[in-house]
Amino acid sequence: MNVVETSGLGKRYGRTWALHECALAIPAGHVTALVGPNGAGKTTLLNLAVGLAEPSAGAVTVLGGVPAGSPAALDGIAFVAQDAPVYKNLSAGDMLHVTGNLNHRFDRAYAQDRLAELGIPLKQKAGRMSGGQQAQLALTLALARRPRLLVLDEPVAMLDPIARHDFMATVLAAAADGVSVLLSSHVLAELERVADYLILLSKGRVQVAGQVEDLLAAHRMLSGPAGEADRYADRPVVHVRRGEAQAHLLVRAGAQNPVPDGWEAHPVGLEELVLAYLREPGAAALPGPARGRGATMTEVAR
Amino acid sequence: MTALTVPARAERDVSPRPVPWRRMAWVTWRQHRIALAGVAALLGAFAVYLELSGLQMHHAYAALIACHPADSTACQDAGALFTGSYGIKGVIAAILLQAVPALIGAFIGAPVLGREMETGTFRYAWTQGFGRWRWALAKLVLLAAVVTAAAGAFSLLFSWYVQPLFAVGYTIPFTPMVFDLRGVAFAAWTLAAFAIGALAGMLIRRVVPAIAATLAGYAGLAFAAGLFLRQYYTTPLVTNKPDLPGSAWAVSQWYAKDGKFAFPARGSQLVDAVMQLCHGGTGRGPGISGPGSPAQCLTQHGYTLWTNYQPGSRFWPFQWIEGGWLLALSVLLIAVTIWLVRRRAA
Amino acid sequence: MGSGPGGGDGKIAPSGRVAAGSAIEFRLDPGSGVPTYLQLVQQVEHALRLGYLKPGDQLPKVRDVVASLAINPNTVLKAYKELETKGLTAGRPGQGTFIQATLSQVALPELTGLRRSLSGWLAAADGAGLDRDGMVALFSSALRDFYERRRGSRTRGSPASGETEGVA
Repeated sequence: MNVVETSGLGKRYGRTWALHECALAIPAGHVTALVGPNGAGKTTLLNLAVGLAEPSAGAVTVLGGVPAGSPAALDGIAFVAQDAPVYKNLSAGDMLHVTGNLNHRFDRAYAQDRLAELGIPLKQKAGRMSGGQQAQLALTLALARRPRLLVLDEPVAMLDPIARHDFMATVLAAAADGVSVLLSSHVLAELERVADYLILLSKGRVQVAGQVEDLLAAHRMLSGPAGEADRYADRPVVHVRRGEAQAHLLVRAGAQNPVPDGWEAHPVGLEELVLAYLREPGAAALPGPARGRGATMTEVAR
Repeated sequence: MTALTVPARAERDVSPRPVPWRRMAWVTWRQHRIALAGVAALLGAFAVYLELSGLQMHHAYAALIACHPADSTACQDAGALFTGSYGIKGVIAAILLQAVPALIGAFIGAPVLGREMETGTFRYAWTQGFGRWRWALAKLVLLAAVVTAAAGAFSLLFSWYVQPLFAVGYTIPFTPMVFDLRGVAFAAWTLAAFAIGALAGMLIRRVVPAIAATLAGYAGLAFAAGLFLRQYYTTPLVTNKPDLPGSAWAVSQWYAKDGKFAFPARGSQLVDAVMQLCHGGTGRGPGISGPGSPAQCLTQHGYTLWTNYQPGSRFWPFQWIEGGWLLALSVLLIAVTIWLVRRRAA
Repeated sequence: MGSGPGGGDGKIAPSGRVAAGSAIEFRLDPGSGVPTYLQLVQQVEHALRLGYLKPGDQLPKVRDVVASLAINPNTVLKAYKELETKGLTAGRPGQGTFIQATLSQVALPELTGLRRSLSGWLAAADGAGLDRDGMVALFSSALRDFYERRRGSRTRGSPASGETEGVA
């Protein structure tokens, strides 16, 4: 089952297309990271998936074909928006009651136990909690709904390192229990530990989408003489970094491809891979030829 | 860490039944209880005042009508004293109460959606299983019902309070500032103010500007209704008799000659006419019809004074008409608000 | 994990780590360049060698590892599967993953002999002019070739970063 599937999805605000020709098929059972620079369209995509926005073009379905925003979708998806909104004048206990009233499924015992573990008293007003506590409260409420998909928009941007670690630990524990997770981030470090499916958005378009394992296996960094770098113009080169004598090419070619004489091949880390693609807006790595624009690559001619 | 169990993946949530409407009762109460307490305090404070002052006034009135003989100087003086002291209090109370529907509408209605949009909590509320338009509808209907009922109860108290002032003829039910505090009008105006507030909150998406817009919009509507619309709910009756029956409401007056309209009974045209015909009359308004007065003079020149009026018996029909169109307006505004909630893109 | 006081089940020690139920505790070295799943595998093997783990011991539950390290659960699953492939562990459905074998122990005289011949090789390499990194590179390359020949084609998963194919 695909937890999120889009075809030709686009969203326009006024004259600007925040998202354009987006074709995705995010499988269930993964922690999917949606990365990209600010303004790339991450929040727009998430809003479309959870039903807070309507597409201007194309369609988005969730949880195996259910229309986004429909009652079945709202039932199975829990969303924590940026800054973890909760009603600041209500207490944690009140928020439990409100959330319980607004949903079919609510595991009150889980929520209470979890808040106790976190050291958040039920009488504490949400407005008086620290940023980390508010985020954990919002996450607890979301998980207590027992969703099949948890969607998080920049969940840890405002949190200190400990709060960030604890938050992600909770999210990943839920993933271990079977919840699919889709989270957006513009912080690349630690991504490789957390995510096993990656979507890279750049200027409103999907640049990279696929399993992290497959993506990393499909790319290598070739290091060799700068003078020879141009000889490889016919290879699927994503990005070139060169000095006077030495150059590094990020190529879309796995370990099974032979390495040219005089060159060395290194595996690529996720952060390096994402940065390279971000620097080359024209390059794309999409799973399979049938999706969207297909695995089109541009050659980098320097 | 506490373990979480996810519903079995084979379980297909085929279009789940909607979450029951009644769940919103507690949610609405908990979220808005401060504001509702404010309304209770506001109405409560006025109610206490009306109760105390009203009891005083009713006793004084009872004493007044017990005064015999009715046309003796002593009793006339007592009447003047009564009117002098309680009349002005009634006027002030009525003026202050004009603001109540507007305040209720602004401070209860505007934040319902305005605060959700401003603080971003709509991103929480509209992604819960309840569904966004049902959530909005439940809240708005519940709050509207509560404030309307409270206003309705309050207007009963005001009607009791103002009775002695009607009895001594100090004011009539049709007086604009009194009409909209009694019958169904007060409740209907409160409902309309709430509906205006709700729509303003959804359109403007910021609480304070929405409150301001609600107050302004309500004021405009209330003035328009009171000053221009209400008089013509049904075609006024016309008479050329100089004195109107007791509780009739004079809508407009004019002078006619030979069966044709001449000029209105107020304003510059009247002044000019009087100057021309009465050689330097004072131009004081009609009603002073003693010898040598402008009214007398105009009558001598063949002008007849005509009056459009609404008889006092039309009070309740007018209440229903006003209540009716305010109700229709409120329903329309709330429907538009819900429609905006349904279609708004985040 | 986190700032919670003694949790409801009494399992969380003041230091925040899961104290009961598992013999070892995993840690991560994010800067080492070694893939996460491989670090977990190596830590289990290391613990076996040092005696912290014995056959019959239970490995930490996937959920607990995820919660304390904040890593993707599939990574842990991959590590545990690798250990199972190597024959070191066995999963019991509904219970967890248990150690079922030890790493082959090499007898002490053999170890001493191997170490002596290694010292000889190092002296020869030093005499030939190789510096420390050169020795490491040569050894790593030969090690890799050895296992490649032994196992046939290899997928990506080389344990060390900076590995080169074809030394300049």
